[in-house]
Amino acid sequence: MNRSALRGVIGAILLLAVWEGLARGFSLPAYTLPAVSEIMAAVWRHRAMLLPAGWLTMWEALSGYAVGSVLGIGFAVLLAVLTPLRGPLLPVLMAINSVPVAAYSPLVLLWFGIGVASKVVMVALAVGFTVFLSALAGFDRVDRRSVDLMRSFGAGPLAILWRLRLPAALPLIATGMRVSTVRSLIVAIVTEMLGAYGGLGWIIYQAVVQIDFVQVWSAIVVASCISLAFFGVVGAIERRVIFWR
Amino acid sequence: MADTAPPPLLEMSRISKTFGPVQALNGLELSVSPGEFVTVVGPSGCGKSTLFNIVAGLEEPDQGGILRFKGQSCHAAELLGRVSFMPQRDLLLPWRNVVDNAILANEIEGANRREARAKALAMLPEFGLAGFEKQYPHQLSGGMRQRVALMRTFMFERDLLLLDEPFGALDALTRTMMQRWLLDVWQRHRRTILFITHDVDEALFLGDRVLVMTARPGAVKLNCPVPLPRPRHADLVTAPEFVALKRQVLDAIEEEAMKSFTASTGAHS
Repeated sequence: MNRSALRGVIGAILLLAVWEGLARGFSLPAYTLPAVSEIMAAVWRHRAMLLPAGWLTMWEALSGYAVGSVLGIGFAVLLAVLTPLRGPLLPVLMAINSVPVAAYSPLVLLWFGIGVASKVVMVALAVGFTVFLSALAGFDRVDRRSVDLMRSFGAGPLAILWRLRLPAALPLIATGMRVSTVRSLIVAIVTEMLGAYGGLGWIIYQAVVQIDFVQVWSAIVVASCISLAFFGVVGAIERRVIFWR
Repeated sequence: MADTAPPPLLEMSRISKTFGPVQALNGLELSVSPGEFVTVVGPSGCGKSTLFNIVAGLEEPDQGGILRFKGQSCHAAELLGRVSFMPQRDLLLPWRNVVDNAILANEIEGANRREARAKALAMLPEFGLAGFEKQYPHQLSGGMRQRVALMRTFMFERDLLLLDEPFGALDALTRTMMQRWLLDVWQRHRRTILFITHDVDEALFLGDRVLVMTARPGAVKLNCPVPLPRPRHADLVTAPEFVALKRQVLDAIEEEAMKSFTASTGAHS
C-alpha cells in the first residue's frame, strides 16, 4: 500500500472513531446519528435483505452506466464527424441536460414502469450526458497541426478519427466516465426511492417510513461500498489504458 | 539528349497566397531538381510555413499561379499523400511507441502493419534509436523524439521531403550532431529535400542551394548555390568559401529584416 492510500485509511479510521465517540458519549438518538458499531451490526443482521438489494441496485447502475457511456461516446463521435449536425442538435441536447436529471424521473417511471427498466434509463440519461459532453470536448481538443500532419499523409476523416481524434479524446472520456460511476449509483438509488420493487433506495425509503434510522444507515453503508469499489475499478482501468498522461 | 538535366521535381511559378487582408506570398518562383537538398531561410513571418503548407497540399494557393509536380500541373490538394511532410514540432502520438509512431504514415496508406514494423525495426539503428522500439514519446529526449519524427518522414517513401525547422527546438550541440547525421542519411537515401530553417549556418552546411526569402509578402529574394564539396565536415563552417557565402546570405536577410522592421515601426508611428 502506498503512502497516500495509507493516509486515507488512517483518516477513515479516525473519522469512524470520532463518530463512534460522539454517538456514544452524547448518547445521540438513532434519528440524529447512530453509532458506527450499531450500524455495522445492523448491516450484518440484515445481510439477507441488504445483499440482494445491493446486487439489484448495482446491476441497475452498471447497466445504465454501460448504455449511457456507449450512447454518450456514440453521439459525440457523430457530432465530431458530422459537424453540420451540431448547429441544430447541440442546443436541444444542452436544454435536456440543463434540467437536473432527477426531474425526469416521474415521467420515466410512468413510461418504463417501476421495475428495473426505469432505473437503467435514468442512469443512462445521467451518465450519457456527462460522457457525451466530456467526449465532445475531447474530440475538439485535438491539435490542429496533428490533423494537418495526418492529412499530409493522405488520411481521410475516418482515419483521422480512428487514429488521432479518438485516442486524443480518451483522457477526457475517461474522466467523464470516472465521475459518472458515483453519479450512476446516486441516480439509481434516488429513482428507487421514487418507486421500485427493491434495491437500496427502496430499502432506505421503507426504513424512513418505519422510522428505522439504523436501517437507513446500513443501506447507505452498502451503497457507499459499492460506489467506492466501482469508482476504484474504473479509476484503475483508466490508469492502465491511458498510460501516457 | 541523355546528358540534359532531369526535369524539376517541383516547380512553382507566380505563386501567391492571401489570408484575408494579409498577403503571405506574392509571386513566388521556385524549382527543385530530383535529389537536390534545398534550404530556405528568411526573416520570421515571411511565409515560409505557408510555402510548405502549399507544397504539402494543406493550403491552396491563390488563382493564377502555376504548381507543377513531376512535370504535371496540379492543385495543391492533389499533393496530399504525395510528399513527406515533417512539421516544426515532432507531433508524435503519445499513445504509440517508437515503432508505431514511425509507421503511422505507412499505416494510413494501407501498408501491412507487420511488414511496416519489421522495416521500421531494421531502420532504428540508422536513426540512433536501436533498442528504443518499445519506448513511448514521453520517455524520450527531445533529440530522440525528433529522430523518431524524421524516421516517420523517411518511412513514408515519397520523392520529396519537406522538413520545417526540424532541429529548431534542439540545443546547439544536439543540433550540429543531427545536421551531420541528416546529411549522412540523405546521402544514402538520395531523396529530394526542401528544408526550412532560420539558421544561416545550418542552411549553408546542409544545402546544395540556399533560397533567401523576402519579408512578407514572401518571394524568393536570393537563389544562392552552395558549391561546397560533399561529404561536408564540421570544420567547413570556418572555411573562407563558407564564410563568403554566409556574408552574401546574411546581407540579403539583413536587408529584408530591416524592410519588415521599418514597415512595422512605420505603421505604428
